[in-house]
Amino acid sequence: MTDSLVWSIALPLSGAILSVLLPRAANGIGLASVLGSLAAALAVIWTVADQGPLTYAIGGWTPGLGIALRADGLSALLLLLSALVAVAASVYATAYFRQAEQRQRFWTLWLLLLSALHALFLAADLFNLYVTLELLGLSAAALTALSGQREALEAALRYLLLGLLGSLAFLAGVALLYTGYGSLDISTLTHRLSPGLTGWSAAALMTSGLLIKTALFPLHFWLPPAHANAPAPVSAILSALVVKAAFYLVLRLWLEPFASLSTPELVQMLGVLGAIAVIWGSWQALQAERLKLLAAYSTLAQIGYLFLFLPLILETSDETLRHAALGGLLLMALTHGLAKSALFLAAGVVQQHAGHDRIAELRGTAQALPATTFTLALAGVALIGLPPSGAFLGKWQLIAGALQAELWWMLGVVLAGSLLAAGYVFRLLGHAFGQARYPARSLSIGRQEIPALGLGLAATLLLGLFSAPVWSLLAGLAPAGGLNP
Amino acid sequence: MTDVVWGLLDLLLILALLALAWGSLNSRNLQRAVIYFIGFGLLLALVWVRLRAPDIALAEAAIGAGLTGALLLAALRDASHSPDHTDRPDRAWRLNPVPTLLSLGLAVALGLAYLQALEIADPQRLAVAVFSHLEQSGVSNPVTAVLLNFRAYDTLLELAVLLTALLGIMALGQARPAYAQAGPVLAGLVQWLTPLLILVSAYLLWIGAHAPGGAFQAGALLAGAGVLLRLAGFPDSHFPAALILRGMVIAGVSLFLAVGLVLMLVGRGFLDYPPAWAGGLILLIETAATLGIAATLMLAFLGGRPAAWSLDTSTTGRIQAADMVRHNTGDNP
Repeated sequence: MTDSLVWSIALPLSGAILSVLLPRAANGIGLASVLGSLAAALAVIWTVADQGPLTYAIGGWTPGLGIALRADGLSALLLLLSALVAVAASVYATAYFRQAEQRQRFWTLWLLLLSALHALFLAADLFNLYVTLELLGLSAAALTALSGQREALEAALRYLLLGLLGSLAFLAGVALLYTGYGSLDISTLTHRLSPGLTGWSAAALMTSGLLIKTALFPLHFWLPPAHANAPAPVSAILSALVVKAAFYLVLRLWLEPFASLSTPELVQMLGVLGAIAVIWGSWQALQAERLKLLAAYSTLAQIGYLFLFLPLILETSDETLRHAALGGLLLMALTHGLAKSALFLAAGVVQQHAGHDRIAELRGTAQALPATTFTLALAGVALIGLPPSGAFLGKWQLIAGALQAELWWMLGVVLAGSLLAAGYVFRLLGHAFGQARYPARSLSIGRQEIPALGLGLAATLLLGLFSAPVWSLLAGLAPAGGLNP
Repeated sequence: MTDVVWGLLDLLLILALLALAWGSLNSRNLQRAVIYFIGFGLLLALVWVRLRAPDIALAEAAIGAGLTGALLLAALRDASHSPDHTDRPDRAWRLNPVPTLLSLGLAVALGLAYLQALEIADPQRLAVAVFSHLEQSGVSNPVTAVLLNFRAYDTLLELAVLLTALLGIMALGQARPAYAQAGPVLAGLVQWLTPLLILVSAYLLWIGAHAPGGAFQAGALLAGAGVLLRLAGFPDSHFPAALILRGMVIAGVSLFLAVGLVLMLVGRGFLDYPPAWAGGLILLIETAATLGIAATLMLAFLGGRPAAWSLDTSTTGRIQAADMVRHNTGDNP
């Protein structure tokens, strides 16, 4: 079953290659390969739940000399999220792109992006991670530019340059670690790394590179234009998954190789930046005039929540507390992944239907596009963190953990953030439900509305009501001092 | 005595490198800045030679100085034709103290960290492991062994990165028009150089198994031949049919992936070459990769989609004609 690790990367990559050769069959090739990689991701998570973490030594060489792929609860859950969102967004894309040529270009880059994401989640080697970051950054920037409009090109260029800056900082850190500790394998480095100038510089370089990519305040400025100007299915995956991939790496690095370097002040600082991101992002979302911009700013806030969890996870000696917080973090990340992709896909439907996405002029959307408006509402429920969404449980864990760790300021941040989120969601819904004399039809563009609706339902119902497996998958993950003792 | 001479040469090399970097950043004339940048790349290749990394030196000279230089010059030429073209502002370009100090501080911190890293350097360096497994890798050049066997997966993904970069460029719009036919001197030079570049590229591909060389260097040289033909505007140099062109672009990454997956399907493991076949498989993959890299870099130089990329049958008849028309409108560099 370990072959499924390779398949989840190789299938989208094969699809990308085939779609260059047979662009006219790109829809079919694309759907087949994302469904295949979903099956592979399911097999991975099934095996991880059954047998614990998986390792696959590529080429049969021992990790260190060669490269290994690895899946544990954390990476398997994110892999599954990515495969799920990809299937929904791919079905949506078959109807979204009206121009054949644009659709063909979309598919190849999209499948390359997906293989980069899956390769990143499964990587166990620092240089390999750099390569996946490059592939991810380039394909994401190219997809952002897909519409060819001036704003999109500008946003994509800025995205590309900042992404390259982040990758280079990451690479410089990797080079330092390799010089000092003679290995690129993450678990080997976890044993060898000790506090010192080399480790600290490498950690600072790699973390700041990743903070640019995950758009943590104050390195967030590139995100809103890039996510708001990309085509809807692209925005969905950029917001739901690509920024989260960089966050995943921050978490992975500080849980494992850098665990011995972590200090309370540093982790607190990341938490505080997260808190500012929550407030700032939500406030900007409340001010946003366009629906896609609202969604993009809300992503900044949601990334902030993930960073709020870090002090609870990295600076606690209490094993149960850490486990609970890690589960809460994952629930937040997964819920946001589903809800934000649903929101962007629905925003795309609204934009195509109305010809614009100015929130103040969305009157009558509820009558014209009932299913899509329902999706917007469901995604909103999950973004605010109302029950029964997974984000409710996630925020609950965050508050419980903050109380236990006596980090009182976090309470205020979570409350203010949720209130602001309620504000921007209800402002949107208020306009969408404005009266208009349209004949009601529950579904007009099934291939675009149903995937979005499915994601919205999954975000609000699935994770909240069936969240226990998340914790059981994370059991044993990250005891003090790293994952692989 | 020889140590002193080499030491002095190294010092000169470093000073010249810094001077060129400064000139490239500081020059008001963009064309001059690009020329400095190309010189910088060539000197950097020499630095790699001095660091005994000839593989990287070859790649740096071919890609860092050669192709990147050509790309920058072509971009500059495009920009000078566009209406909103502006040169760097007339006022003397001055150093901004805050970023300068920050960069200097960062450089000093990195230097210190690097020195400390060297001090604690682990004796079990990867190099030892590479040399002790070299015999099973199928090649005797340790760089090729790492790139195509031990860390073949990285190289596979790098080829995908190259494909992504090309598709990203193509997503931006149409290719820039072809150049008009060159005068006799340039044309004669290109006539001499092209076969030579193809020959050297094949040699680098073959020699890569046991000496510096390999697919990236060979592919870059081959692409260089293509760029030269394009620059000289040879009327007979056409692209192949769209399907073949697309096949060439994906040749490397697709064959690489296929070899890896077939080995997994027959029960060996992804990219787990049988030791007896490793040499042959690596040569096969490198050959496909050379073609793929050459086609990709050459097409990237065009700065957009050429008409020949389109598979649409209704336009294929017009492609040659379109290229012909462009010959008359384009001009020489």
